[in-house]
Amino acid sequence: MSQPILEVIELRKNFYPRRGLFSSLSKEKNARSIPAVDGVSFTLHENETLGLVGESGCGKTTTGKAILKLMSMNSGEIRYRGTDITAYTPEQFRPLRRDIQMIFQDLDAALNPKMRIADILREAIHVREADADAVTVQRQIYDLLDLVNLKKNKLSNYPSELSGGEKRRIGIARVLAVRPKLIVADEPTSALDVSIQAQVINLLRDLQDQFGLSFLFISHDLQLVELMSHRVAVMYLGQIVEMGPAKEIANSPRHPYTSILWSSIVEKRSREIPVTGSASAWGVFDFERPLGGCRFAPRCPVYAERGRPSICTDPANSPTLKVASEGHVVSCHFPL
Amino acid sequence: MSATPLLRIEDLRTYFYSRVKHAFVRSVDGVDLEVMRGETLGIVGESGSGKSVTMLSAMGLVTAAPGVVTGKVTFNDEVPQDLLQGLEARVEIERRDGRIMRVAKDNPSWQKQVERNLAGVRGRKISMIFQNPKMALNPFETVGQQIAESVRLHTKLNSAAEAREKALYWLDQVRIDSPRLRYDNHPFGLSGGMSQRAMIAMALAAEPRMLIADEPTTGLDATIQARIVDLLDDLKNRLGMTMVLISHDIGVISRLSNRIAVMYGGRVMETGPTAQVLDEHAEGHPYTRALLASTPRPENVTATGRLPAIEGEVLDTINVPCGCRFHARCHRINDAVRARCEAVEPELFEIAPGRRIRCWLYAPQ
Repeated sequence: MSQPILEVIELRKNFYPRRGLFSSLSKEKNARSIPAVDGVSFTLHENETLGLVGESGCGKTTTGKAILKLMSMNSGEIRYRGTDITAYTPEQFRPLRRDIQMIFQDLDAALNPKMRIADILREAIHVREADADAVTVQRQIYDLLDLVNLKKNKLSNYPSELSGGEKRRIGIARVLAVRPKLIVADEPTSALDVSIQAQVINLLRDLQDQFGLSFLFISHDLQLVELMSHRVAVMYLGQIVEMGPAKEIANSPRHPYTSILWSSIVEKRSREIPVTGSASAWGVFDFERPLGGCRFAPRCPVYAERGRPSICTDPANSPTLKVASEGHVVSCHFPL
Repeated sequence: MSATPLLRIEDLRTYFYSRVKHAFVRSVDGVDLEVMRGETLGIVGESGSGKSVTMLSAMGLVTAAPGVVTGKVTFNDEVPQDLLQGLEARVEIERRDGRIMRVAKDNPSWQKQVERNLAGVRGRKISMIFQNPKMALNPFETVGQQIAESVRLHTKLNSAAEAREKALYWLDQVRIDSPRLRYDNHPFGLSGGMSQRAMIAMALAAEPRMLIADEPTTGLDATIQARIVDLLDDLKNRLGMTMVLISHDIGVISRLSNRIAVMYGGRVMETGPTAQVLDEHAEGHPYTRALLASTPRPENVTATGRLPAIEGEVLDTINVPCGCRFHARCHRINDAVRARCEAVEPELFEIAPGRRIRCWLYAPQ
């Protein structure tokens, strides 16, 4: 865990809600843009798993897609192994696609329904070695199936004939076929049953040990992220509000949002006493009329407890990520 | 809690027909359940285990053929009522080796009979909330109108003004902020958590004896999920409601239920008080134990950083194996019981009062 494999610096991506004919003619064009990802920076090291958590709509998937250039970005810099790849054209980026791969959330959309499993894997192998002969390819297909614990008799099936767990394995096998170094895993187990989820999690961990892979693990399942990741970054409305070692984030969070997030794990609540902050009467941040300052303030129990200090909503004084302890940063004026 | 259960399901079987495989999908295959007055029964199971279909069948909401083929569902309100009355007369069953191989059912006539049986029960006595509130709400009517409609249909209040007042009361009860504003919102103007609250309000507006909640928190964010669970817990305590909670999320179930039934492959594998079923160190069905151990929690991780996964796939209910449905994935199967596990399906053995386990390891000596 020494060399950084991926550095993301001040990544920004705005979305523009679709407007009607007449409002699009008006002058204030950018007034209604929604900053889905708003200045996200992080570093991912070799052989490391960084978990990216947050509620739906916080920009975690957008971040992942921007790294793979599946989505354009407005500003920011992405470095892969020290090289700035931000301005790469699709042709320049193509060789890198073998190194950086993504496991998509939607199992059914990720596999071509009209291709047999063998063809799906064969195509991926040809991406890496265009002139591989048939025997080599066949042997590699078998190796891939071994890696993901699938039986050979599935090769002539179509994706629709497989169960959710099997489809997920084929998705992973296809990603592995190009021998990537970095995998962006977007909710890799969200569609799976609990007993199957554990199989896939074990598989990902084994593969990391075997091939020294780095993972950007995107999920809304907090307990899963805690378990899978070395470090965790918590996102709220397009910004990272806290980042640090997984155990520290889970057990001694410094940002009020992280604390609420972890205390809302239903199972935990039944066993322990709820931690800070009641969940009632939460305000919502309005992108169209931003208050300025901390985006979490309208929902923040600390902000309410401290009698709404003006620094929290001061546009000139937005909180920035500050070091709380070694390797642990938090963006809050009054960290816990 | 009185001795007679509010709802009793006996030997319920609901089959579907797979045209591709030319075989029955035995979604629910002999389920017995009891729901006591005032309790919350949690039904846990993985997808395809038959937990939702069980309750849909009891409510007569399964319309695909052949649908419900055997069973008795008794609802003991003031007078006991057989919800599946007249089923036997409309179904002809051919059994081979104790298994149903062929079903002939007069489905149109059965659908009519179901409507007659359940006309006064659905909504008024048993209400249901579904997993996807956006699909269950009518997109063309405001949320308030839909709740008011439920009030007017199912309670004695009949005037528009009274129904409106009552609808506002229920919106307030489910903690929707500024109910007067939300009354005029259409469902698309509400967030996922808010729609789920509106659904709950609509179900409760009928003032039912029993509420069936089918995956009420699935698909919501963790923080919203926690608030819906808090709300259900609060309503349950305040209104003394009887509830059946269906979920694959053991966390949600453990928080809300008094009793749990664990389903696997169309069968109830284990029932008992929540604390006993979910206690990892107590006696229990191998499937439940393995399921608990495989949930991603820090304390479940082994020294090598792995989760104890259940190997194999979730049972497909087309090719139901002989013997115990879980035996192929079972980690506690041993040579002393193997022959029985593979050949004969165990019954639900009672190991303590109110505690039943469908496993040969717990067979009385």
